Formats: sequence, C-alpha cells, structure tokens
Amino acid sequence: MLNLWMRASVFITLVVVILMLGFLVSQSWPYWWQYGIGMLFAGEWYPYERLFGMAPAIIGSFWAAVVALIIAIPTGIAAAVMSTELMSGPWRGLLRGGMELLAGIPSVVYGLLGLWVLLPFLQSSLNLLTGHNLLAAGLLLSVMVLPTIMVMAQDALHEVHINQREAALSLGIDWNTRLWRVLLPQAWPGIRSGILLALGRALGETMAVMLVVGSMDRIPDPWYNLLAPAQTLTSRIGREIGEATFGSIHFAALMACGLLLAVATIAISLLAQEKRGQFTFFPGEAGSRKK
Amino acid sequence: MKLSPFFHVNNRIAKTVTVLLAIPALLLPAACLLYILFKGIPALHWDMLAGTASAVSFGAIGSLWPQVAGSLLLMLGACMIAAPVALGIALFHALCASARQQRMLLSLLHLLQGIPPIVYGLCGLIVLVHMLHWGICLLTGAIILAVIILPMLVLNTVHAIDRIPLERTEAARALGMRDGQIVRRVWLPAAWPSLLTGLLLGMARALSETAPILFTATVFSGINWPDSLFSPVTSLQTHIFYLAQEGANAQAVNIAWASAVILVALVTTFSISASALRKIRVGG
Repeated sequence: MLNLWMRASVFITLVVVILMLGFLVSQSWPYWWQYGIGMLFAGEWYPYERLFGMAPAIIGSFWAAVVALIIAIPTGIAAAVMSTELMSGPWRGLLRGGMELLAGIPSVVYGLLGLWVLLPFLQSSLNLLTGHNLLAAGLLLSVMVLPTIMVMAQDALHEVHINQREAALSLGIDWNTRLWRVLLPQAWPGIRSGILLALGRALGETMAVMLVVGSMDRIPDPWYNLLAPAQTLTSRIGREIGEATFGSIHFAALMACGLLLAVATIAISLLAQEKRGQFTFFPGEAGSRKK
Repeated sequence: MKLSPFFHVNNRIAKTVTVLLAIPALLLPAACLLYILFKGIPALHWDMLAGTASAVSFGAIGSLWPQVAGSLLLMLGACMIAAPVALGIALFHALCASARQQRMLLSLLHLLQGIPPIVYGLCGLIVLVHMLHWGICLLTGAIILAVIILPMLVLNTVHAIDRIPLERTEAARALGMRDGQIVRRVWLPAAWPSLLTGLLLGMARALSETAPILFTATVFSGINWPDSLFSPVTSLQTHIFYLAQEGANAQAVNIAWASAVILVALVTTFSISASALRKIRVGG
C-alpha cells in the first residue's frame, strides 16, 4: 500500500513533467514550422497581420532582468554583509523578517504598488509621457528579487567556517580585506546560486511586470532606451493569451514564448545547481559547516 | 605588521558604503507594508467582508467575500491535491530511492521550482481547459496551483525527514518495524511540525500566485460561490489585477487596495503561523 502510493506519486509527477514539456513543444510546433527559428530575431509582432517576431519581447525580458539584478545584487549582498557582520542578533532577526515580508507580498500587489506609486513618480520626475516602461519593470523586479539574493547571500556568509574568520582575525587583517579576500570568495557559490535564482525569478515574473511595462511590441530605440513602453515574454503571454483562439498560429506563437521561458529558466537552474556547495576549504570538515 | 595610516579610514569607508548600499533593504519592507496599509485600510469597510452586497456591484460597495472564498477554495484544492503526492515522493526519496535516484529527484525538483508559474498556467490551459474541455474552472486552477507548489512541498518534506535523527529510525528497524510502521509511528510524530510548516508556506504561495489562474480558473465577477468543481471562481488576486487597471474609476482602485490589504493579511497569517510552528520541537 505504502509502496504503491510512493511509486504512484513519483510516476504521476514524472508523467506531468513529460506531458507538460511535450504539450509546450507540440502546441508551439506550427509556429516553429511555419516561421522558422529566425523569428527569434525578427522585430515585428502584429498578430492581426500574422507577424510574430520574438525580438521585442526577448530584449524587453532581458533588460528588465538586467536592471533588476544591477540594483538588487549590490543591495542584497550589502544587506547580507551588514546583517552577518555588523548587526547584533535582534536587528538581524528584524532584517530577516523584513525580507520574508517582502518575499511574501504577492506579485500582483507589487504590480498595484508599481502602477499607482512608481509610475506616477517616474512620470513626473523624468518628465515622461507615460511612466510605463522597462525601467519601471526593472525597479519593481529589483524589489521582488532582493529577498532571494539577500537570504541566499546571508546563508552563504553564515556558513563560512568559523576557523576562517578566526584565522583572518589572528592575522590582523582589517575588516575590509577580510570581507573581500576571505568572506565573499568563500560565500561566492551560495551567492551565485542566489543570483541565478533571482535571474530566473525576474525572467518569469508576470503580474507586476505586466501592469507596469506598457505592453507595446517595439524594440527599444536606441537599444539602451529603457524609458519607452515595451513588452516582455511574460507580459505578452499574459496580455494576449485570452485573445488567441486555441489551435491558431497566434496561440502557437504564445506557446513558443512559453517554451522559450521554460528553456531559459531550466538552463539557469541547471547552471545554479552545477556548483552548489562544492566549495570546501577543509574537505575533512565539510560536514561541520552544515547547519 | 605596521598598519597603514589609512587602515581605519578604509574600514570606515567600507562599512559606510555597505550600510548605504543596504539602506533600501532596510527601508523597503516597512515602506511597502505601511503604504499598502495606508491606502487599503481607509478603503476597507466591514460590510465588504460581512455584507450581503451582491457580487455584481463590484464598483462602489461590493462585497469582497466571493473573492476571498474563491482564493481560499483554490488554495485548499491545490493543497489537497499536492500534499499527498508530495508526501509520497518524499517517502520514496527516503525509503526506496538509490543515491543516484535521490540526486536526480532533487535536481528535477529544483528545475521544476525554477520554471515560471505562467508556463504551468499555459500547460494547464492547453491540457485541462482545451483538451479535456473542463473550461475555465476551479478544478483546473487547483491542479495548476498544486503542480506549482509541489516542488516546494516535496523539498520541505525531504528536509524534514532528513532532520529526524538516524538513531531513531535505526532503533525502529532493530525492533523489527516495517516501513509503513516507521512512517506512522516514528517519522510522522517527529516531523509533523515541519510538515505543517511546509504546508502553510505552500498555502501562502498558492494564495499569492496570480498569473497561472488568471486565464484558467477565474472570472471577474458574477460568481458568489461556485456550484461545482467545474464552475469558474472569482479570486482576490485577479480581482486586484482587474481593478488596478481601472484608472478612471478611483473607487475601483480603492477597492483594489482594500483587496490587497486582505490578501497580504491572509498570506502573512499563513507565513507567520509557519514560522511559529518552525520553533516547535517534538521529542528530545
């Protein structure tokens, strides 16, 4: 009975995973077949004229994630360093609690905040016609991925072996050098996983981005222009899936967007798993570093 | 070692820069929460939850009860589907799997966790809504949410079982207990707080997911209480999404803020009870 239950659960899960990927591929197949892989680089997406170029959304997703990481990585790591190296217990708990709160706010609520707080602010401060743009999406995403980076970095710093800290102290190395030469390099594998997780999260985030990005299928012009309405892969799916008929080429094109997202995030998590926790200074003591 | 004259200055600069960079992390949680409360509390009226106002009048004095009920139903459905499967997989990991299978299983779960929820939503749309002709309904949403929270539940259960001292399991085996007895008599009594913690976190997660149910399970209005599993529902998450875009109607945006307060309150209730449970230690 127990055996049956265990095997059935594993079997169901495997079937679901395989079916999912299978359907994503098979449903997007008409698109790849008719338009070819070159559509990844084509710039026009006009469903009514049957033009389905992926480039605007891919570039949009890329920029939104990059802006988010550029802001969230330094902030997250600094907050982690501050909490493990500079703060005492209660404050550390408070900061951690704050991060958990931030991580717990649903993405649609972030979208609401972005739409009614961030956009008016951007609009008036940068003197734009509309606040809907990639910068807003990036800023919002940076808040959403901050907890991921901060918590992973904090755990990684926390797990640096006490011997290493004591050795650094006994050598008389100052705080700055200790941080850059001892703590950060040793915590790097954990921090790196956190960054990759955050990247995957930023690429896949839908609701918040959808509300602030503007949903205009245009390639940023010039390429670094983040202040015009744009589109990401997720926001395109979210906006258009309701309008596409099941089985149409438009539907297949949206499935292709989904497939791209799935492939990108699977690649990122494989990369994150590749080296997780392989960095050990004293192989014999590796066990004692575990919590 | 002779200290350079800039020794302390350098340190002070480094510490100052760290603190300056970390300021957003210190202020943002409080700022976000306070702003949501500041906008939402005034818009929140008691009759929104308790009132008998029909779900049709979503504009001015609508009741939010159907939305809350829909969100909770979706969440409960997702947990009821995902929890047994998650426990089964975790037990397979602990009892049957070889070391290689264990590694592959964990790796697969991490992969699944990384896939964006909207992709699960798309797959659910193809298979459940269109191919099985279930249409936009509660059951579709619950299954999709179940798949989304499954990896997290399994990983949590695996860790919970790992934390049970090996001696206990060995003692149980030495007494001649079978696998089923060990699970029931040794593991569940020792690990239930962690399992419940994981379940509560899964509930919080299922409550906050919006994108995958937007086009597979929910409608904007007109449903007070779903008649069957195959009826669409209204949910708080999607309600916020629709109302947030009603820029011309200030009242609608106010209701969006009120719904946001309720949603955040529900989610934090689940995660706070999860962290309270985490502190419970069963046995010595």
